[in-house]
Amino acid sequence: MDERILDFIGDLRRAEMRISPSEAVDALAASAVVGLRDRETFKATLAATLVKEARDRATFDRLFDLYFLDLQALGEGLKKALGPEDPRVREMLDRLAAEEELDLDELTELMLRGEGSEMEMAIRSGGEHAGLERLMYFLQVGYFSRRISDRFDWSAVERDLEKILRMLETQGLDPGALARIRNYLELRLEAFRRMIRQHVERELERRAYRQGEKLTREVLADKPLFALSADEVAQMRTVVARLARKIKDALALRQRQEQKGRIDSRRTIRHSLQYGGIPMEVMLRRRHREKPKLVTICDVSDSVRNASRFMLQLVWSLQECFSRVRSYAFVSEIAEVTQAFNTYPVERAIEWALKAAPIDYHCRSDFGYAFSRFVRTELDSLDRKTTILVLGDARNNYNDPQAWTLRLLRERVKGIIWLNPEGQWGWGIGDSVMPLYAPSCDIVRECRTIGQLGEVVDNLVHRWWRRGR
Amino acid sequence: MFESVEEVQHRFREARYIATRRIATVVFLAARMGRPVLIEGPAGVGKTELAKTLTEMTSRPLIRLQCYEGLDEGKALYEWKYAKQLLYTQLLRERIGELIADAPSLPDAVAKIAGQEDAFFSFRFLSPRPLLSAILAEQPVVLLVDEIDKAEPEFEAFLLEVLSDFQVSVPELGTLKARHVPLVVLTSNNARELSDGLKRRCLHLFIDFPAPADELEIIRLKVPEIPSRLAEAVVNAVQKIRALDLRKAPSVSESLDWARSLVILNAKELDPALVESTLTLLVKHEKDIERVKGALDKVLAP
Repeated sequence: MDERILDFIGDLRRAEMRISPSEAVDALAASAVVGLRDRETFKATLAATLVKEARDRATFDRLFDLYFLDLQALGEGLKKALGPEDPRVREMLDRLAAEEELDLDELTELMLRGEGSEMEMAIRSGGEHAGLERLMYFLQVGYFSRRISDRFDWSAVERDLEKILRMLETQGLDPGALARIRNYLELRLEAFRRMIRQHVERELERRAYRQGEKLTREVLADKPLFALSADEVAQMRTVVARLARKIKDALALRQRQEQKGRIDSRRTIRHSLQYGGIPMEVMLRRRHREKPKLVTICDVSDSVRNASRFMLQLVWSLQECFSRVRSYAFVSEIAEVTQAFNTYPVERAIEWALKAAPIDYHCRSDFGYAFSRFVRTELDSLDRKTTILVLGDARNNYNDPQAWTLRLLRERVKGIIWLNPEGQWGWGIGDSVMPLYAPSCDIVRECRTIGQLGEVVDNLVHRWWRRGR
Repeated sequence: MFESVEEVQHRFREARYIATRRIATVVFLAARMGRPVLIEGPAGVGKTELAKTLTEMTSRPLIRLQCYEGLDEGKALYEWKYAKQLLYTQLLRERIGELIADAPSLPDAVAKIAGQEDAFFSFRFLSPRPLLSAILAEQPVVLLVDEIDKAEPEFEAFLLEVLSDFQVSVPELGTLKARHVPLVVLTSNNARELSDGLKRRCLHLFIDFPAPADELEIIRLKVPEIPSRLAEAVVNAVQKIRALDLRKAPSVSESLDWARSLVILNAKELDPALVESTLTLLVKHEKDIERVKGALDKVLAP
């Protein structure tokens, strides 16, 4: 049984669950303690020792069901599939077996009398010999089903069947009854073949569980954002959510590393009172990492809408990493969209900001105008703790870029980071005014894929605001 | 302590706590393997209650460590009673004088005092905090570390050290090893990710909102005077409210409060007016209340 459990742990690991060797050892020890009598208990035992994240529970449940088949339920299922059993047929077969010296092949016995669980066990051992561990793709299902099926000696079954029917005939059974028996056996044979195929399909799902998802994720992470289809945008949301979690987890880790600091005289003196005024314990000031205030300014014109969407999702999923987030959307007119994020869930707020904010979505991008409006209304609310994150392609449609606005903003804030969803080779060509804005920015990054976006935001959260303090 | 999972389940039941198979299994394993249990789940599903029931079932004393931001070793493990030490040295000044009176030189005097160090660094002057109490306890105890996610990550690392072999070293006294391995229960509301190390060390139990049948049983058990039709209606409504997209879904303890209040109000069945007027017991956020009110006919549908 230990091997089965270890094998199962292998499946879980393939499905991207993190399980340490010590947890595997625990699982083995624990299952030895409770035993295997009760399936629910066994499942609870493995879950308690292996599943440490709530998000892994669905994976665990599915794989557990695939791996540790509920054989009893399977038998019931088979019975149902075969329809109501014909007691007369059974009786006849039993009588035959009792009366005559009937030497039947093992497989025939299984077909005639086997319960679902026994059949499944036979298929399983067949699968082990058929090299099922090489199963990787859906296209192989047919091939492996055939391979397993070939391991059984069907000709023997045929022979036995003929033999039985002949014997019954000599006993003077009427043709109707004969047909019924033949029908019964054929039904069972068919059910068995179906079980083989199901077994292979289950194996495939078990082996490749979530592999497809992982593949999609890897592909999507490097795909240019403007080229995403509507489907891919939906998938990308989970990718971004995952990215946000990764950044957050890493942050918790890094916070732990910062323990040094200057002496906190107030706490030291207060603590010294219990030692008669002697500063026995020196209290250190905890370095409070200053969370950045973030202002995001997103171009939401068609060409860069996807990039804005994911940037907004990422930033707002990381809300707790910032002390305050405010978001603005513009095409030419600019409007604050923060309030949507305060009232709606992130997803809905983004859709609102991209489609229904009080700005004209159908005009041509005008960065200069948007920035000048922004400077006029918001300049006073900015301070040295604020970081401005601009997302846009800086394609200004030959309008006045008003680069002075950005210079003015830069003087007020801690820094400006510009993310450009267009490839670097295009900057400054045609109506791109990136080179005019770039000198006022601290960081200018190309941000064509979700991978690049993740890198920039990760940097922002972890390193950016530590600089220059 | 327990013979089987069934026994655990049965004894929980006797102690008036509805434990699912999963809960019973994890508790059984924890007792058998001497492992801490980490319970995660939304607020108010009975995480702390589980530990309390456990003490009742096993008739072991409960030692509770409530975590909060800024909790440190001194408050969790032990502290020297420095003031008392100081007071004693003051009172004993003369005796100390006598002790070193015949010392020929300063080094000798120091050596003599050093010989007496044990008198001042002994258990007499040690004030044990929850963790040390659990380790020093004469009889087996249940140690509840409540809301571990509220403490800082550093504290978690320290706790992990204590929990991995149930011993602590006090420099002046040496290593203190637990006489009995305590039954340790940690709870977390998932305010932040706990470290992998701690999770690895613990058996993990996720308690979610109970299934309708379980919740019905809980309400019947805890509010025995409730009419059975009303109990069913309450469970139905609560489960539907949880399915709404709320800021904070009603917990088990809140549905119990609600059931109790309905009993006090002598209600026989749920009608919209009654629900609306008692809703604040169940749902606490302004916006959530609005939402539930808006979906009232859906909530009350059988």
